[in-house]
Amino acid sequence: MSATATPLGADVAADPRSTRRSRGSDKSRAEAKLGWYLAGPAFVILVLVTGYPIVQALYDSLFSYRLTAPADREFIGLRNYGVILTDTLWWEALANTALITVVTVAVELVLGFALAMVMHKVLGWLRPIVRTAILVPYAVITVVSAYAWQYAFALTTGFMNAVVPGVGEDFDWFANKWTALLVICLSEIWKTTPFISLLLLAGLAQVPSDTIEAAKVDGATAWERLWRVTLPNMKASIMVALLFRALDAFRIFDNVYIMTQGAAGTQTVSALAYNQTISRLEIGLGSAVSVLLFVCVLAICFIAIKVFKVDLARARGEG
Amino acid sequence: MSTRWRGRLGAGGAALVLAGSLLSCGDGSAAAGTPTLNWYVNPDNGGQQRIAEQCSADSGGAYRIEVSILPSDAAQQREQLMRRLAGNDTSIDMMSLDPVFVPETSEAGFLEPIPEDLQQELSAGVVQGAVQGASWKGELVAAPFWANTQLLWYRRSVAEAAGLDTTRPVTWEQLIEAAQSQDTAIGVQGQRAESMTVWVNAMIASAGGEVIENPDAKGPDIRLGIDSDAGRAAADVMRALAEAGVTGPGVDNRDEAATANLFQQGGAAFMVNWPFVYAQGKSAAEGGTMDRAVFDDYGWTTYPAMDAGTPAAPPLGGIDIGVSAFSENPDLAFDAVRCIVSQENQAAYMVSDGNPAALESVYDDPEVQEAYPMYDAIRTSLQAAAPRPQTAYYNEVSQGIADQWQPVTSVGEQTPQESQEYIEQVLRGEKLL
Amino acid sequence: MGAMSTKEKAGWYVGALLIVLYAIVPVVYILSMSFKSESDLSNRQFFPTTWTGENYSGIFAGSGSELFLPALRNSIITCLVATLIAVVLAMFAAYAIARLNFPGKRLVLTSALAVAVFPVITMVTPLFNLWRRIGLYDTIPGLIIPYLALTLPISIWTMSAFFRGIPWDMEQAAQVDGATSWQAFRKVIVPLAAPGVFTTAIIAFFIAWNDFVFGISLTSTSRAQPVPAALSSFTGSSYFVQPTGAISAAAVIVTIPVVLLALVFQRRIVAGLTNGAVKG
Repeated sequence: MSATATPLGADVAADPRSTRRSRGSDKSRAEAKLGWYLAGPAFVILVLVTGYPIVQALYDSLFSYRLTAPADREFIGLRNYGVILTDTLWWEALANTALITVVTVAVELVLGFALAMVMHKVLGWLRPIVRTAILVPYAVITVVSAYAWQYAFALTTGFMNAVVPGVGEDFDWFANKWTALLVICLSEIWKTTPFISLLLLAGLAQVPSDTIEAAKVDGATAWERLWRVTLPNMKASIMVALLFRALDAFRIFDNVYIMTQGAAGTQTVSALAYNQTISRLEIGLGSAVSVLLFVCVLAICFIAIKVFKVDLARARGEG
Repeated sequence: MSTRWRGRLGAGGAALVLAGSLLSCGDGSAAAGTPTLNWYVNPDNGGQQRIAEQCSADSGGAYRIEVSILPSDAAQQREQLMRRLAGNDTSIDMMSLDPVFVPETSEAGFLEPIPEDLQQELSAGVVQGAVQGASWKGELVAAPFWANTQLLWYRRSVAEAAGLDTTRPVTWEQLIEAAQSQDTAIGVQGQRAESMTVWVNAMIASAGGEVIENPDAKGPDIRLGIDSDAGRAAADVMRALAEAGVTGPGVDNRDEAATANLFQQGGAAFMVNWPFVYAQGKSAAEGGTMDRAVFDDYGWTTYPAMDAGTPAAPPLGGIDIGVSAFSENPDLAFDAVRCIVSQENQAAYMVSDGNPAALESVYDDPEVQEAYPMYDAIRTSLQAAAPRPQTAYYNEVSQGIADQWQPVTSVGEQTPQESQEYIEQVLRGEKLL
Repeated sequence: MGAMSTKEKAGWYVGALLIVLYAIVPVVYILSMSFKSESDLSNRQFFPTTWTGENYSGIFAGSGSELFLPALRNSIITCLVATLIAVVLAMFAAYAIARLNFPGKRLVLTSALAVAVFPVITMVTPLFNLWRRIGLYDTIPGLIIPYLALTLPISIWTMSAFFRGIPWDMEQAAQVDGATSWQAFRKVIVPLAAPGVFTTAIIAFFIAWNDFVFGISLTSTSRAQPVPAALSSFTGSSYFVQPTGAISAAAVIVTIPVVLLALVFQRRIVAGLTNGAVKG
């Protein structure tokens, strides 16, 4: 890498992204070449590991194709999509996924903000302790979180019925759609709130403290300061955190797979796709579900960027 | 395995080679010259591993059996095996198959056909249901290894107090009445899982019906017999259970283990379950976690009947050993299979792992009789047992039943018809599952 | 940040305490489950009545060990190798992004973003079909490749953000002072860049360690199965008994390395996470 440092020459200013290209010299061409040499391998891998699957899935989705009966493979055009889009199970899975996404992201945003505030304000010896504690859920793997929450609520193993007020000893959380979804959401929220709160903490640190002080001098209450000064200043970080978490939540699989396997009407889109392709080995139908899931993710991105004007440059870290 | 693995790496980089060499430390112990047979097994108490070692030693160096463990859930075992077999994987020589997946595996051409004379040998003296479960299109395609069946378990004291005569076949109706009168529950498996299909199929078969009328058909042409008098009788039993309030707590997520716990802890004085519950109760009593008196109160009889005149067709389970069509040593594999399912091994396995033998003669073994005092009930039950629907589309049928007949409280008059329509749509590729 | 009143301070301290409780109670619960004896597992209480190590001996020496030990080995190898490859590739890419001006820079960043939000389940079926044809199914390289899709994007962002914060002109300054370019790079740039690379490696490792979908879909035996996928293969004392104790013990074991990393490198991880995704 030492060689790469020299050709830039000593005339490069502190900002390496200055308008050197306008000179159109060999140097800029060499730089472009070097840039691609360095970034190329990562880029090629990224494109291959996702580009190939999506193209293949699109192709497979046009067939009736069962892995254990390869001889019966047949081109059926868009019929798989017709089957899925007229199936109530797909719409139920989509509604569940959307519900989980909205609920978890909303709760995480509020809870994450509260955690970020505490982390921001607490000083002294408590600060590293709090920041370390918050990393524990982030580090614990989703499957472990799913088992912990499942065991805590399950009728055979759980202690929650004794703790939660108004719940009978024999109440089965996983027998009812809404309570089962609630436990799934709890596990998801527990595991991912730390991530969101860390992103918000970064945003909090950017809020100019003199503006807050000025508002204080002007007699603004703590609540007003929060709404008028802190939050507007954090808008960009909040939007990026929202987009990331929403896309992540929309792909929810591990928690559902471990806790309910889709029973009691808790199917989600990812779990539905998994059930068609991997369990039933219906490659064609399952690929079509996967493609539709991909389309949903694209739609969320599109809405976030066009409607909510999430700044992608910021998300890319170019800020 | 490790050489093939490394050969593929090509330009994989130094880091991968390092990983490869680390890996080969783990499993590079194959003795030179002796062919290795890979046996994919369902998880158990280690009994299949012991049998593998025993047979390897007995073969006098002809082969060595390596055991690979599959997931504990039957449906996941199928997933894993099918995925490998669909890739024509030569690393599978033998596999422990749940009988319900024998047709699909055979139909797909994944099972090496068993020579005629060996078919005779492997089915001689085996309980009828187990032979049926290991057969497809009139041929034995896998070797029956063990055969499971469910019994009706009860607390003697409670049955007595309810005036339930357990010396004769008990019906569901009598059972519900007895449970209601004693203010107790009947432990049934109401989870949306394979155990639901086990239950529904047993009731439909006991009422003289069949879940599938033409098992050999291709998916779209399969005719179901759920929407029938037998299917409606099964739905009636479920409804009666729910209406009488004797399903006990948590029925909608209850599997076999949870049922056994409920029975052990006194939440239900009756249950339908596999014989493992006896061994489990025994160890709890010996370990001091359950009162000895409770264990001594355990009673058993054959599975509940649908009506007093007709004996029940109890559930049938178990494991068959199939030889992969992609095995490089099919003849050796068949030799190994003969060893695995020998009478001594089945008897030892029944004692060590609590899984009932497929060979009738094993039940005459004094050691087996001592470990399982209900050996006679098991044998009788196995003789009357009905396999679950045999079809290459078992997974769809079973998942469909579990989905539609659950939760128990939702089952009503319309369930047989609705579930039949739903499963037929899934089989025609018109619905998701 | 102005002086806080004692009351206000106490409020924040209570908040801090609540956070600590929030974070550790579920972990303590699974830890407590892992020490329960078989009969205690269904006692429906938080703590065991008698503490026992039998679940641990079960997965390390007993019937579960044939499943767990290879799975642990697979997880460690797969995640370390995937992390190593991702970090090296991302390091080059991030250097180019942070320091060089080349057409397509935004394309690289945008595609990293796109891959990060790509539904994993969509990748699984085509990869599974391809893998079984070319012999990568149920192998460690067959897992490492898709893990790169998980680890590369975040590695690229995190490191680009770190590298952008490095005062690269110090390198020139060193050269002016008479150091060779190699010396300048080694003495000035490496110490500045190393923390960023290291932090990125930890975060990438967390993400690879967390994988479940690829693990259950692209492997089937102890040849390549990672721990999260192997948990569903555990078995209880008999065929139908739920392996709650074994799962809890294995869950604790896979949690230990990541929690230790989080404890030791808390400051760095927080910096890495906050830098990478939202750069102000």
